[in-house]
Amino acid sequence: MKLLEYEAKAIFAEQGIPVPRGAVIRSPDELPGRIADLPPEFVVKAQVDVGGRGKAGGILMADRTNGETIARELFGKLIRGVPVREILIEERLAVTHEYYASIAVDRSSKQALILFTESGGVDIETLAKENPDAIRKASLPLLLNQIPPFMLRDLLGSAPKELGPVIQNLYRVFLARDALLAEINPLVTTPGGPFAADAKLIIDDNALNRQGITQNRDLTEREREAEKYGFSYVELAGSIGVIGNGAGLTMATLDLIEYYQGKAANFLDVGGGADQERVMHAVRLVAADPSVKVIVVNLLGGITRCDDVARGIISAGISQPVIVRLAGTNEDEGRKILDGSGYRMMGSMEEAVRAAVEAVQ
Amino acid sequence: MIYGDKNTGIIMTGATGKQGAFHIALINEYARQVGGRGVVAGVSPGKGGQGVAGVPVYNSIRDALREHDASAAIVFVPAFAAGDSIMEAADAGLSLVVAITEHIPVHDSMRAISFARLNDCAVIGPNCPGLLSPGEVKMGIMPVHLSSRGHIGVISRSGTLTYEIVDQLTRAGLGQSTIVGIGGDPVIGQTFSDVLRKFEEDDQTRAVVLIGEVGGSLEEEGARSTELPIAAYIAGISAPPEKRMGHAGAIIEGGEGDARSKIERLKAMEVPVASRPSDIPAIIKKLL
Repeated sequence: MKLLEYEAKAIFAEQGIPVPRGAVIRSPDELPGRIADLPPEFVVKAQVDVGGRGKAGGILMADRTNGETIARELFGKLIRGVPVREILIEERLAVTHEYYASIAVDRSSKQALILFTESGGVDIETLAKENPDAIRKASLPLLLNQIPPFMLRDLLGSAPKELGPVIQNLYRVFLARDALLAEINPLVTTPGGPFAADAKLIIDDNALNRQGITQNRDLTEREREAEKYGFSYVELAGSIGVIGNGAGLTMATLDLIEYYQGKAANFLDVGGGADQERVMHAVRLVAADPSVKVIVVNLLGGITRCDDVARGIISAGISQPVIVRLAGTNEDEGRKILDGSGYRMMGSMEEAVRAAVEAVQ
Repeated sequence: MIYGDKNTGIIMTGATGKQGAFHIALINEYARQVGGRGVVAGVSPGKGGQGVAGVPVYNSIRDALREHDASAAIVFVPAFAAGDSIMEAADAGLSLVVAITEHIPVHDSMRAISFARLNDCAVIGPNCPGLLSPGEVKMGIMPVHLSSRGHIGVISRSGTLTYEIVDQLTRAGLGQSTIVGIGGDPVIGQTFSDVLRKFEEDDQTRAVVLIGEVGGSLEEEGARSTELPIAAYIAGISAPPEKRMGHAGAIIEGGEGDARSKIERLKAMEVPVASRPSDIPAIIKKLL
C-alpha cells in the first residue's frame, strides 16, 4: 500500500530523518490557524498518490497573503484525475543541492537495493535509461540490520558526508515498516543541514496486518469486497467478466480474450478451494458490475469438485449468461448439473473464451 | 529429475493443519504408486508424539531428523511463521525447502532465503505449488493425473496455469522430466536461472517450457543464462500497470516488467514465445 507524502514523512521523522516543518490541512479554512508556525513563504502540496504531481500543478509556492486563495484553488482541483482532499503546507527550504536516495526490494538479488544519485529531483527511471552511470547502487542482505560504512562511502562518493546518516535511517524505515520502497526524492542539502523534501513509502500488502494497517486504501470498493472473500480482484474496462482459479490461469484467460479481440471487465482469482459458496459469491460479485454482459468461469484443479462449482454458479442466480470451463473431480456430474439449467460447459479454455467473445459481439 | 528422487525423504512442517494433513496423504499416495519414500515425518511445534495421515509428528525438524533420514522439507505453516520454518529447515541441515505458503511478508522471505543460502539450502517458492517429477517424486500440491513422464522440463511462476500447460503437453505426447513451480512472489528462492542450471545437468531433460508472467525480469535473466532449447509463455499481456494481478509479484512497476517488453526481449534472444498456452506443444516439437 502506498502512503501519502505526509504519512511517509511522519514515519521518516520517527526514525531520525529531518523533514521540513509543516502541517496537513483538510480544508482551506484551516490554513490561517496553521501558517502561524511557518515562515512567511511556504509550499502548498496536494496529497494525492499520482506520479508527476508537481508538473500537474499539485505543488505551488505561496506566502501569507495569497496562501488561502492558492489552497482554496488546489482543493477544487483534480491532479491527474484525482481530487485533492488533503494538503501539506511546508516551510520553503533554502536548497543548495538536490540528491536522490531510495531503498527497494530487489527481485534479482533477493536483497535490499540502495540507489543514490547526485542528480536529485529527477525521474529515476528516466535517469536509469539516459545516464545509468550517474546512479550508484548497493545490495544489502536483510540479515544485516545496518548499512556497513564502506557501502555508505561507496554510495556517497564525493557527496556531503552528512547524507550518510539520512540513508542509514532510511534503511531503518525500510526494515521497521516492511517497505517495498522507501524513497527520498529530492533529498536536499540546505545551510541548516539535509532534509527529505519529498517522501515515498510503499508497504508490503502481506505485512499490513503486523504494521497495524487495517484497510488497504489502494483497492477500490469492489476490490475490497472481493478481498473479504479471499479473492484477488482487479477492475478493467471491458464487458466480459472473468473468474478463474490461480493468478496465472486467470491472467492467461484475460490474455486469450484479448487474443480473440474481446475485452475483459475484470480479473477475479478465487484462489484455492473453489467450493459452492465461494463460487456463488464470485459470480455475484462479477455480475454486480453493470458493464458485464457475459461471464467466463475457467477453473482447473486436481481437487476442485466440479459438481460443487456448478451448483455455486447456479445458486448465484444472476441474469447474465455464464460460460464455463471446468476440469477436476466429478467433471461429468458438473456438466449434467449445468446442462440441466441452461448453462454452457466447454471442453477447453480456448472454446470457453471464444464463445464468450462471440456472445458480446 | 532434479532436486530429488524416489529416495528423497521429506519432512512436512505445519503437518497438523488441515491442508498439511490432506497433502501428506496425497504425496504419500503418489509415493506408494511410484515406489518412493514420500513424507516420512511431520513437524508441528507442541504437537510432537501425535500422528497425522499415517506419519509421526515431532516438535521440531531436528527432533524428526533424529528418527528419520530426510533431506527436504515442505513448508505448509501459516504466513506469519513460514519464514521461521524455512530457516529452521536450513539450520537443521536439509538441502531443499519447498515453501508452499502464500502471503509471506516479503522481508521474511528475503531474510529466510539469505539465511538458507548461508546453509547451502535451496528454497523453492514461497507461494508455489512445489515440484513434480512424474514417476519419481512429488514435493508439493500439483495434481499428478495431468502429467506424464518424459523429457520436457517445466518452470513456472504460476500454479493452475502450469497444470493447464502440462495437460496440453501430455495430450500432445510430450511427457515431463520435472515440473517446478518457482512461486508467484516478488522474491523467490530458486529462479528460472537456478532451475535451468539444474536442467542442464539432467540427462532426462531435452527442452524446457518457461511459464512467466508480468513483473520483474527473472524470465529474461533465465533465458540469457542457458544453452538449453526453451519455449516461453508470458501471462499478463492484458494486465494494466500498477495493479497486482493475483500474485504478489505480478505487477508492472515504474514501466518495468510488462508482458510485451518481456516477450520482445525473449524474442531478441531467439526464444520462441507462444501467444496462447495451446501453441506451446507445437513450438516444443519444433525445438526437439
